[in-house]
Amino acid sequence: MTLLLASGADPLGHVLDKSSAFSGVFGTDIPLSVVSLVIGGVIALAGLFFAAGRIRTGPESQGHRRYVTEGRLAQLVEVLVDGLYTQMLEPVMGARLAKTWLPFLLSTFFFVLTLNLMGMVPLMDMQEILHAFGGHAPEGEQAGADAKHALIWIGGTATASLSVNIGLAAWAFLAIQWQSIRELGVGGWLEHLAGGKELVQNKGLWFVVPIIFLVEVLGLVIKPAALAIRLFANMVGGHTLMATLMLFGAMAATLGVAAVSGISLVAGVAAVAISFMELFVAFLQAFVFMFLTAVFISQMAHHDEHHDEEHGHGEHHGSESAAAHSPGAVHGH
Amino acid sequence: MNLPILAADGAANPVSFQALPAITAFVVFGVVLFVLAKFVWPTIAKGLDDRNHKIVSEIKAAEDARAAAKAAQAEFEKSLASAREEAANMIKQARADAQRVADELKARNDQELAEKVARANADIEAARKSAVAELQAQSAALATEIAGKILRRQVNDQDNQRLVQESLKELATSRR
Repeated sequence: MTLLLASGADPLGHVLDKSSAFSGVFGTDIPLSVVSLVIGGVIALAGLFFAAGRIRTGPESQGHRRYVTEGRLAQLVEVLVDGLYTQMLEPVMGARLAKTWLPFLLSTFFFVLTLNLMGMVPLMDMQEILHAFGGHAPEGEQAGADAKHALIWIGGTATASLSVNIGLAAWAFLAIQWQSIRELGVGGWLEHLAGGKELVQNKGLWFVVPIIFLVEVLGLVIKPAALAIRLFANMVGGHTLMATLMLFGAMAATLGVAAVSGISLVAGVAAVAISFMELFVAFLQAFVFMFLTAVFISQMAHHDEHHDEEHGHGEHHGSESAAAHSPGAVHGH
Repeated sequence: MNLPILAADGAANPVSFQALPAITAFVVFGVVLFVLAKFVWPTIAKGLDDRNHKIVSEIKAAEDARAAAKAAQAEFEKSLASAREEAANMIKQARADAQRVADELKARNDQELAEKVARANADIEAARKSAVAELQAQSAALATEIAGKILRRQVNDQDNQRLVQESLKELATSRR
């Protein structure tokens, strides 16, 4: 605990993005999130290539065994892929749309999951502990850096960076708009942003069109922004809680050895429990990111039908309202 | 202990935007998406599809085999019932045939026996008649002879006895 204290007794210091030791190597600021993104991409690709090799049908010489997926990682990937498609995406999007967008959505899920899980490995703390135990500090330490602090080459949770999540959400934004334009055409898409055909053609309500257009354009941005902020907040919140728990012992340093030991024990057990919850959250948030992207995409695929239904009932809803009914509408159609 | 919450050492403002991580995330995910979509997801999808087809075809084959086995069993039971009925009829027919043959044999034996008895009785009657006729003839001859002898001389009791004895001897000789 004193090591944590020595390495910077600030829970957010372990959670938020900061400069990596690569900054000194490249002469420019390289945040840890960038390092994690690159490594996470490599790990995701390597793991999924490995899993795909196990899931694929083997040679005929293997007999019936060639259809069996062996290995825990491959089986986990298979279960996730199959479960996400059959239990989540197909019911929400319909078979045609789900198959079209499956590669994008699965890539999103596994990439975000990899980044989330990488954040569960205390690489940053390990480097600080090694440094505190008198290990050799990496050479090329930045001028002006505090000698008490270790150079951190790798660590942290990339998805705890809002900037990273914005980069990921940009893909979701593009996917949603691509699906909109593919379904409605550019004219239809603009017409949709202006509130729909009936509203545009109604000259008596011309003044409403700019307002609707503005709201819809804001909605286009808000949807992926909500994805980014949700992921960021969950990752930061969970990791901050864990770091805070682990610092309780250090906070009690003035109360004596017995108090520090007792509080550290309780805090440690609590942190382990929270770690399990964070493990779940890592999966959950990756799923939520992917699932909401799928929902937003599916809304655009059936937008006209929603408008027709809504207009038939003599009322007009915004896109968010239509979105709320989208899964049911997809089932219905 | 003083815990600076927002001004973490070396850490960025949690809600500030940094271009490099965002661009890196966009680019790295783009690369990951391209590679996965090109090489990984098709492989996994094909593997899962192959297995689904295999499972479905195996289930269908098993169902077909079960239906065929059921039909074969029904056919077999039908054949078995037919064979049992046929065997029962054959046994019944065989018993009837055996009874008929036995009755015929018995009737024929009875008839043959009756014929043999009748023939034997006829033979016995013929033999008896023949014997009686021969005895009568012999008796007549003997009487004639005795009478001839009587006529040739007076016979006393002794002669008479002797003549009878002689006649009997002659009769015995002649019968031999």
